[in-house]
Amino acid sequence: MSTDQPDESRRARAVRLLSGPRSRLGVTVGPSAAWILTLLVAPLAFMVAVSFFEVSSLTYQIIYEPTLSNYRSLFDGGGAIWNTPFVTALWLSYVIATVTTVLCLALAFPLAYLLARNGGRLFKVVIFFVLLPFFTMYLVRAYSWVLMFGPGGVINSTLMNWGLIDAPLAIFNYGIPAIIVGLTHAYFPYMLLTLYASLDGLDFSIIEAARDLGASRVEVFRDHVIPLTLPGIIGGSLFVFVPSVGAFITPTFLGQGKIQMIGMLIENRVAGTYSIGYASAASMFVLVSIIGAMVLAFRYVSIEELGGA
Amino acid sequence: MATETAESNETTEPTRLVGHQQVEKLLSTSLYVVSGLLLLFLWVPLAIIIFLAFAENAVTIFPFEGFTLDNFRLAISSDSMRSSLAGSFTIATVAASIATILGVLASFALTRYRFRLREMYRTFGIIPMVIPGIILGVALRIYFQNLLGILPGFTTVVLAHSLYGLPFVLLIVSARLYTFDESLEEAARDLGADPITVFRDITLPVIAPAVGAGFLFAWIRSFEDYIRALFLTGPNTDVLTIWMFSRIRQLDAPELNAVSALIVFGVAVALAVAMNVGNVTGYVAGTVADEE
Repeated sequence: MSTDQPDESRRARAVRLLSGPRSRLGVTVGPSAAWILTLLVAPLAFMVAVSFFEVSSLTYQIIYEPTLSNYRSLFDGGGAIWNTPFVTALWLSYVIATVTTVLCLALAFPLAYLLARNGGRLFKVVIFFVLLPFFTMYLVRAYSWVLMFGPGGVINSTLMNWGLIDAPLAIFNYGIPAIIVGLTHAYFPYMLLTLYASLDGLDFSIIEAARDLGASRVEVFRDHVIPLTLPGIIGGSLFVFVPSVGAFITPTFLGQGKIQMIGMLIENRVAGTYSIGYASAASMFVLVSIIGAMVLAFRYVSIEELGGA
Repeated sequence: MATETAESNETTEPTRLVGHQQVEKLLSTSLYVVSGLLLLFLWVPLAIIIFLAFAENAVTIFPFEGFTLDNFRLAISSDSMRSSLAGSFTIATVAASIATILGVLASFALTRYRFRLREMYRTFGIIPMVIPGIILGVALRIYFQNLLGILPGFTTVVLAHSLYGLPFVLLIVSARLYTFDESLEEAARDLGADPITVFRDITLPVIAPAVGAGFLFAWIRSFEDYIRALFLTGPNTDVLTIWMFSRIRQLDAPELNAVSALIVFGVAVALAVAMNVGNVTGYVAGTVADEE
């Protein structure tokens, strides 16, 4: 009995605490708000600050005097601006991410359409086979393409073994094509599931009505299917494009040292020489461009549309 | 598919070289072919890892040298593999637990209350999932080391991963709460239950599957993360992805194939069970479609 007594009063206090609307709000919002402020907002704000300070290369301490030297060093490489490691890496990242996004969109659309039109038994099996790679460790999937590509990789050695080619083909060596394939494989499920969610809400009788009224397939696709699934298309593209720009693992393995994307450059400067000023300034460009892409996307589609699709 | 369409068009445009029925058939066949090829694209690389895990060859199929279980024996007996596996398990479990508690509370706030800066709170609750891992990793590393003077280690990885897992719990649980019938809670309250009892006996059982799914997502994200862990882990905290990364780089580790194959098997079993128990597709499509 005596042990129950303090327990009971603690419970009563908890009940009283949860009864007021203000304290209830505090209890529910408080912890996550604290987490977000101390682990997301503060670090990012500090990163912005660091990008404007110099960092001692001897002690790795920050010298708190405002300077633009970090930003200058992004564009200073001796030669032309577009030849600095930063500009080259950033440009390459955008190109690779764009190609990956378009590829994912083109590949995912037919499958998403098929899944949305035919539910049932087939659906569950196909979705299992799509989700399995989706849930499999990213690193394992990247590694699987390391085995596939390369001069002695599975693709080249199999083709040679079957007598289809005499020497390893360059396109199946490590490099930009390999990176694009690896990224497409990695982020394809995001595109597929977003498109599927969007196509699943589509009223297919609209398509049939348009066809009955004499519209061609291309016209129906252009005038009805695309506009109605635009939120899914834009959402899926964002989920592929954004992580592709900042990719690190895939280009590291599938570029095999020949290719440097922006994520690798940032990692390199921090892990190598702890040049956190340079890394912070470079990160600012990536962040700003990602925010820009999102703002642009949200001019055509609202957050609610994207979520409610 | 859409046979009606084909028929009705035939009457309006009778003079075509290929009948509409044939065009429909051709289109739908090619749709199936493309989809089949896609599944192959998704699957062949993983199948090859599994094949190599059981093969004497380490990195390529030809010339084939025979089957063996040595890779698995080697992987399981490796001390560094086991310690990093244990490290990753601990990190993922602690981080996902924190993310789940914070995420469930935050979901209640977002679905039940109107307050100032609510939209901003929601957006910032989703950002950890969208922001590139390299930037979050570097930002947190600089913040901990240079501003707070905390050296990277177990605590810093767990904190980073708990933040990273938060959006997944938030999205899944709040989607469930939106469809929750609040009159059930009112009825319980009218009958004299206090808030804690209402939560335990009414609300929790209803949202439990969503909470479980959120925890699982946060757990998986933590377990498979490399880049954040790279910047935030210390010498005493081994992480499986870092162990794997260094071996993939050397491209000479037969135990790597075995570990990868075991991961694929583990995920397959867990997914098959989860798909038969709950609405996995709904959760996944929900998170993905909601990811803004």
